[in-house]
Amino acid sequence: MNFFKELTKGIIKENPIFVIVLGMCPTLAVTTSVKNAIGMGLAATFVLLCSNIIISLIKDITPSSIRIPVYVVVIAAFVSVVNMLMEAYVPALHKSLGLFIPLIVVNCIILGRAEAFASKNNVIMSAADGIGMGLGFTLSLMVVSTIRELLGAGTWLGIKILPATYDPMLVAILAPGAFLTLGFLMAILSMVKEKKQ
Amino acid sequence: MMYYLKLGFILLIFCVVATGILAYLNTLTAPIIQDRKTKDEIDTREKLIPDAVFAADSTASGMQYFRARAKEDSTLVLGYTFICSQKGYSSEVKTMVGIDKDFKVLAIKVIDQAETPGLGANCEQEGFSNQFKNLAEADLKVDKDGGQVVSLSGATITSRAIASSIQAGIAAIKASMGAEL
Repeated sequence: MNFFKELTKGIIKENPIFVIVLGMCPTLAVTTSVKNAIGMGLAATFVLLCSNIIISLIKDITPSSIRIPVYVVVIAAFVSVVNMLMEAYVPALHKSLGLFIPLIVVNCIILGRAEAFASKNNVIMSAADGIGMGLGFTLSLMVVSTIRELLGAGTWLGIKILPATYDPMLVAILAPGAFLTLGFLMAILSMVKEKKQ
Repeated sequence: MMYYLKLGFILLIFCVVATGILAYLNTLTAPIIQDRKTKDEIDTREKLIPDAVFAADSTASGMQYFRARAKEDSTLVLGYTFICSQKGYSSEVKTMVGIDKDFKVLAIKVIDQAETPGLGANCEQEGFSNQFKNLAEADLKVDKDGGQVVSLSGATITSRAIASSIQAGIAAIKASMGAEL
């Protein structure tokens, strides 16, 4: 029951993007297309799961005053390991996700979850937290990118959705479009929340 | 004092372990990655100019290129391939180019780039690369600069980088051929 709660909280209740507002940089950068969003989301989920497990394992031998640099070392090393293994053994996957792997190092969701959750909980709970937060991140990226790709290119996952007469709103896939979409989505979410209360 | 030394020491151990793992994995994976890159390069070259035998050569200025000869008749030069690169909007855009013996483009393939996803990154798509076919050196400019290449929407800089790097590459090969003749 508890395990299940940790697994699902990232999707809505503690959604990393819309509620905790972590990892804005990759959110704004890769949501230009749904394909990129899924790629980034899954790559981040994988690293998040693994780094949560390792940090939870070493939490008892890490002195609390230097925990942040230790986490940074663990995460950076882990991302490099994933990058190297992927490039060598699954080149096809690396070709589509490769661009996002180095970006994960600077994704503060990973460090945020290490600090807020994995350093205080056991391995199984930390793994559940990692998967849940990762899925929440992926889903949010998909929502933002769906809106941007539809408006900016008239497509979804590369498939033409809007009729050819639709003149794409180029600004939606440029940087300002990312801020606008994210802002509106957050506003709608907090409006819904206020109504509920 | 001892306390801080101890902290530093612990951090050092973490870093040493992490570096050790990375170094070990790198020695394992680096040769595999290198092999694959070489193989990819050969595959791409064969796609650009099919049914050819390639021989490496270089221009007077030191640019590497490959001379493609027909498989059946080794005296028949089909064309040349080379890799050119130029800084685009956010990355170095690397393109492999195949040209025929009259220095007209046969085909191009963008092999390495990290341009803006959704805009500049579309340069890898065939719709963009196909329009380079049959262009001569003088036409290799984007439409805004009076050339024949229709630039990608929202990514003129990327398009311009590809066109002008190919143009410079062809010019370099032409110049070195001229010197040989």
